[in-house]
Amino acid sequence: MSTAATSSVAAERAPRVNRKVIVAGLAIAFPLLAVLVANLGRDPHSVRSPLVGRPAPAFSLVPVGGGTPVALDALRGKTVVINFWATWCVPCFEEHAALTEAARSLPGVQFLGIVYEDEEARTREFLRQRGSSYQSLMDPEGRTAIAYGIFGVPETFFIDGDGRIVEKYVGPLDRGTILALAARAKGGAR
Amino acid sequence: MTLVALALTVLASAAATPPPPATPEPGIGVPRGPQLSGPQLDARTDDIGALLRCPVCQGLSVADSPATMARNMKAEIRDKLAAGYDQEQILASFERSYGEFVRLEPPMRGVNWLVWIGPLAGLLAGGAVIARALKRSPPQSADAPGVASATSPAFDLPSRDTLPADARLAAAVRRVRTLAYGWPDGISPKERS
Repeated sequence: MSTAATSSVAAERAPRVNRKVIVAGLAIAFPLLAVLVANLGRDPHSVRSPLVGRPAPAFSLVPVGGGTPVALDALRGKTVVINFWATWCVPCFEEHAALTEAARSLPGVQFLGIVYEDEEARTREFLRQRGSSYQSLMDPEGRTAIAYGIFGVPETFFIDGDGRIVEKYVGPLDRGTILALAARAKGGAR
Repeated sequence: MTLVALALTVLASAAATPPPPATPEPGIGVPRGPQLSGPQLDARTDDIGALLRCPVCQGLSVADSPATMARNMKAEIRDKLAAGYDQEQILASFERSYGEFVRLEPPMRGVNWLVWIGPLAGLLAGGAVIARALKRSPPQSADAPGVASATSPAFDLPSRDTLPADARLAAAVRRVRTLAYGWPDGISPKERS
């Protein structure tokens, strides 16, 4: 008798509570779903570099095989392309030829390689075998790689004549992309 | 003797500590903290390394990662601490290169506040819901209706000695009793006596 009374009260109350629960559930679930949907197509590994548009971090590094250090500050007024690479990085092989060729065809643009976590001897051997039209610099403690926010290699920075980073490119470059991005960096200097 | 030891310590720390940079570091300014050395420098290096994400690893802190990149970052933290930069300045310097992503703890600003306040707010809201539900249905004593306990009538199953009133059911129960207990004709010893 009393059990029946309790269950009838519960039955009366049930729909109202359920609606509240549904509204609350949607209020929580909808924003989460929206974030999920908005980011579905995004590469979880790609992080926009905060350096783009900012002055390029300064460095002064010794070239592979020794010699006088190359300082970025000394290149002010020139468009600079800085390619972080390593001999152990397979995509770097592919783009090495494209970079070498682009550096030959763009005498007004200063190309520089910065060696990322690699040994000088192996790097020198790589460059001897494959040839290069621009200097590669050693970054022994990885300070410059850290300053440039490197996640892996290859990563390439296009710097305008004011020493500002115009573009950061992650992954292997082809000739067309190099020319286009170098032209954009050159345009920024005017 | 003590003097010699002191001199050695001073010399050692002077050798280990790079001279503070003449020009302020871009973006983070001049050092704001004390120039650390010795065990304190090691401890603070680990503390700050634990707050930074190793960029080449999967979800590891700089302090925990064995990667070369993490080792280099630790060296950088060490040098900056030795030069007198404080924790916030060091974190900010890495953030300039890698973005907010590099911090394992999101800084308390902007939309990040949600991350810090959200769980607490959720806990409070959940607590409030539970408190209200408890208030609505006051605790009932054991003999009150609707509370199912082992002694309540709802759980008072018929004993194995009683037979259902329905004749067909009773016959079925007898058959089961014979199988289960080995009672002849399914009649319990109690019924028999």
